[in-house]
Amino acid sequence: MSVTAKEVQHVAALAELAVEDAELPALTEQLNRIVGFVAQLTELGDLEGAGRYVAGPEATPLRPDVVAPADLVRPPAELAPEFIDGFFVVPKLGALEEP
Amino acid sequence: MAWETVIGLEVHVQLGTRSKMFCACSTAFGDPPNSNVCPVCLGLPGSLPVPNAEAIRLAVRGALALGGEVAERSIFARKNYFYPDLPKGYQISQYDQPLSTGGAVALESPERGSVTVRIERLHVEEDAGKSLHDRIPGKTAVDLNRAGVPLAEIVGGPDLRSPAEARAYLTTLRQLLVYAGVSECSMEKGSLRVDANLSIRPAGSNELGTKTEIKNLNSFANVERALESERARQQALLERGEPVRQVTLLFNAATGQVRPMRSKEASHDYRYFPDPDLPPLLLSREWIEAQRAGLPELPAAKRARLVQVHGVTPYDAEVLASEQGIADYFERVVQAGAPGKVAANWVMQDGMTGYKATGGFAVPATRLAGLIALVDEGVVSHQAAKKVYAELAAAGGEPREVAVRLGLLQVRDASELERWVDEVLSEHAKEVERYRAGESKLLGFLTGQVMKRSKGKADPKGVQPVLQRKLERS
Amino acid sequence: MSARAVALEVEGRLAELSARGLNATLSWSLAALEAEAARVDAMPGTGALHGMPVALKDNIVTTELPTTCGSRILEGYVSPFNATAVNRLRAAGALIACKANLDEFAMGSSTEHSAYGRVRHPLDPERVPGGSSGGSAALVAAGAVPAALGSETGGSVRQPASFCGVVGVKSSYGRVSRYGLVAFGSSLDCISTFGRSVAEAERVLAVISGPDPRDATTLDRPPLLPVPAPASLAGLTIGLPTEYFPADLDPGVKAGCDRAIALLRELGARVVAVSLPHSRYAVPTYYIIAPAEAAANLARFDGARYGPRFPADGDLRALYRATRGKGFGPEVRRRILIGTYVLSAGYYSAYYGRAQAARARIVEDFRRVFASGVDLLFTPTTPTTAFKAGEKTADPVAMYLADIFVCPASLAGLPAMSLPLGRSGGLPVGGQLIAPGFEEARMLAVAKTLEAQLDALAEVR
Repeated sequence: MSVTAKEVQHVAALAELAVEDAELPALTEQLNRIVGFVAQLTELGDLEGAGRYVAGPEATPLRPDVVAPADLVRPPAELAPEFIDGFFVVPKLGALEEP
Repeated sequence: MAWETVIGLEVHVQLGTRSKMFCACSTAFGDPPNSNVCPVCLGLPGSLPVPNAEAIRLAVRGALALGGEVAERSIFARKNYFYPDLPKGYQISQYDQPLSTGGAVALESPERGSVTVRIERLHVEEDAGKSLHDRIPGKTAVDLNRAGVPLAEIVGGPDLRSPAEARAYLTTLRQLLVYAGVSECSMEKGSLRVDANLSIRPAGSNELGTKTEIKNLNSFANVERALESERARQQALLERGEPVRQVTLLFNAATGQVRPMRSKEASHDYRYFPDPDLPPLLLSREWIEAQRAGLPELPAAKRARLVQVHGVTPYDAEVLASEQGIADYFERVVQAGAPGKVAANWVMQDGMTGYKATGGFAVPATRLAGLIALVDEGVVSHQAAKKVYAELAAAGGEPREVAVRLGLLQVRDASELERWVDEVLSEHAKEVERYRAGESKLLGFLTGQVMKRSKGKADPKGVQPVLQRKLERS
Repeated sequence: MSARAVALEVEGRLAELSARGLNATLSWSLAALEAEAARVDAMPGTGALHGMPVALKDNIVTTELPTTCGSRILEGYVSPFNATAVNRLRAAGALIACKANLDEFAMGSSTEHSAYGRVRHPLDPERVPGGSSGGSAALVAAGAVPAALGSETGGSVRQPASFCGVVGVKSSYGRVSRYGLVAFGSSLDCISTFGRSVAEAERVLAVISGPDPRDATTLDRPPLLPVPAPASLAGLTIGLPTEYFPADLDPGVKAGCDRAIALLRELGARVVAVSLPHSRYAVPTYYIIAPAEAAANLARFDGARYGPRFPADGDLRALYRATRGKGFGPEVRRRILIGTYVLSAGYYSAYYGRAQAARARIVEDFRRVFASGVDLLFTPTTPTTAFKAGEKTADPVAMYLADIFVCPASLAGLPAMSLPLGRSGGLPVGGQLIAPGFEEARMLAVAKTLEAQLDALAEVR
């Protein structure tokens, strides 16, 4: 399978990454190189019954329902590029959309 | 062309925990913005999630109350999208292998009688924060207090057939979840949110039409109104020969209209995959069954039992069982000796006025039972008892003592009764003549006049024979 | 020696290395070192690492020094919380020496992908120290600090350890808390240790290991306790996976390994050939799973809540795209795009689904071999010695293949380490030991024995 420039643009949009038109051809080529490389896995066929390896414990530990917030050495206001009246502030979304 | 409406609802409820789903921040509502946050719910680099045991337990109770099949093994998944109030750029939710599948909600449809809505699934996830678009011009203000709050998402099948039915479903679902102690389910506080899907199709067709999704609904009434608006919109489109496009709509409560969001992407590719930071959620069959055993009597069972054991009507049972607090109070009144039907009337009339205002019953169950007994013994009339009740609710006290203090003891003394009857008969000579002429139903009117004259204190059972005796004399 | 004296010494060495242009550090200061020293000098002195200066790869968060992950998108970011590993180091009396340079967001095998310039190999400035933990490796190799923390996702500590001639140890996945490690490939990431000697790397690893209630992927296992080096390896079976000894293996690397294998036999170990048939699929599998997890892990970097913003005209999406488009370097961007692609609608089962299944096969290969009576595996760590800067940057896949021997143990979550075996043309050669899950002690013991017998500075041919 090869990746088209259009697909690269679509994926870049999904990942909210700006890709300049000038960069697109080289980037598409590089991605095709990588996709071609990882596509070797098709040699392994359907891989039925291989199961799934889960790294770490078999079961997730659960936390008791206690309010004990982790400390922040500095508050959100000091981290944020823009912070007004206790709120993080960002430019508005152009099209009024919610996912 | 006759159209059939098909509606499916997705309901998100906030699980009633003290701390968030994946961190120990408080879930308290209404705190100053960004004051209940930590590295985990802020999504700071290096932070990791650890699930809340109580959130899981409440979600399981909810699933069991809905008759769902709780999975012994379920998986957390990342739902990937970008939005300012989603700090990690993904929401931890569940996709394949959710906590529970199946179940059903039985409800009374305003149009179709008894109806069952299938539950497709219930899964747990974390909430996003709040984006405020109108606070600062040209900007969006973000409060992450809500980010990470535990939610259960309940997906109902496309089994509803009208906006009114949808509302009935929500009322029933809410009642079930409140009974099971899962969530406060308050739309005003945002602990219950509804996304509605609607499509229409020619009546008799088995294929589903294109469905649209309506968001931003903040009350059950508005859910109904929004669905009515959308149904009309789709019908108008199809009747003009235009197709319904799959869009997301917002409801404007002021105008009662829905309008499509100006969105470039018709659908989102969430790229779900199992969250590698969270191993599988494993629940033993024993533990799940213990949760089932710990469920309270649910509304349907309670209604049936109230009818069967206490002899109340199905309508009364519905009112009494509408909330556990009401049913529990009613049963305590009965347990203190009051007959079922009578107790039901008292609770539903006099009791409910106060309950609606304060959320509680001002008169202790034993005292109400005592008051009911006084009426039954003829110590006070029913009318007088209502006044006693009002006084008990306002200021407390014992029923008999209050009745005496307010001078409401029923009078049976023959001479007093005779005096009132004589007074009424002398003032209503015309009615007396008419009665003697054959209009025997005026007895009721005259009895009422005696009651009035006695300011409600006369015992009506004693008044009637005296009246009749005096009226017979010509 | 007081901690204050240690701090001053470290400061001197770091200043010297800066002047030399090693570029191994991203942030450090005398004030920070003195603060660390003051804290340590006030402690009773009984901690396992009392007075030891330790460098931290700059993807491990600290509240005093910034954490940039070698990226512009986190330039100037100072975390409001410390990593668990950092807290444990401090509790044991260590001094945090500095933040070390790395490939951006730990994505790379040469540290050429740092937004703050590449790190120079301490022995040859034209060459790379390996990556992504190249800064940490170089600092230990250059003698600035006796130990350092790095992180591994696909071999990013063992590989630079091999290139730089130091010890690099990755424990089992789940033994060291990831709380405070900026996530790249969550099911693969392991905070790992560098040391001048096996004992030092082991000591630091023991301190940072152990379950953490803040990390749901840590396991509760008996604690890692330093073990003595056995005098004889009789009774031990060492497996040599044939797939790791290709005919075209660099002759210097081969010679170094042959020497070590001969030594193992001399010490009494039984050495046998084994097969891990799915080995060749490890790198492609890794380059599907790691980027997929990374694409999601890096979605939080958008200029909204912390870090710098990149100028953008327009709305919120313009801000996201400008910040992420310019804030991330080309390798990170490629990986995010690949990761997004392999998870996207229509491609999930062909790539991500298949990679998960392939991973299970790779895990099974190791399980089978270890169940057949093999106690440890021995392999070369890297196919070559340190390559020259610029040699592999033209083709991303060429760079990926540098991880060919280290990547499989990462996929399988197994403990693995690199040990210096000698020199080839003046450049270090590294050998790798891989142990079954949670059998670090066995691996470290054997490594100590080898270390004692090998002259890591001697030419292997």
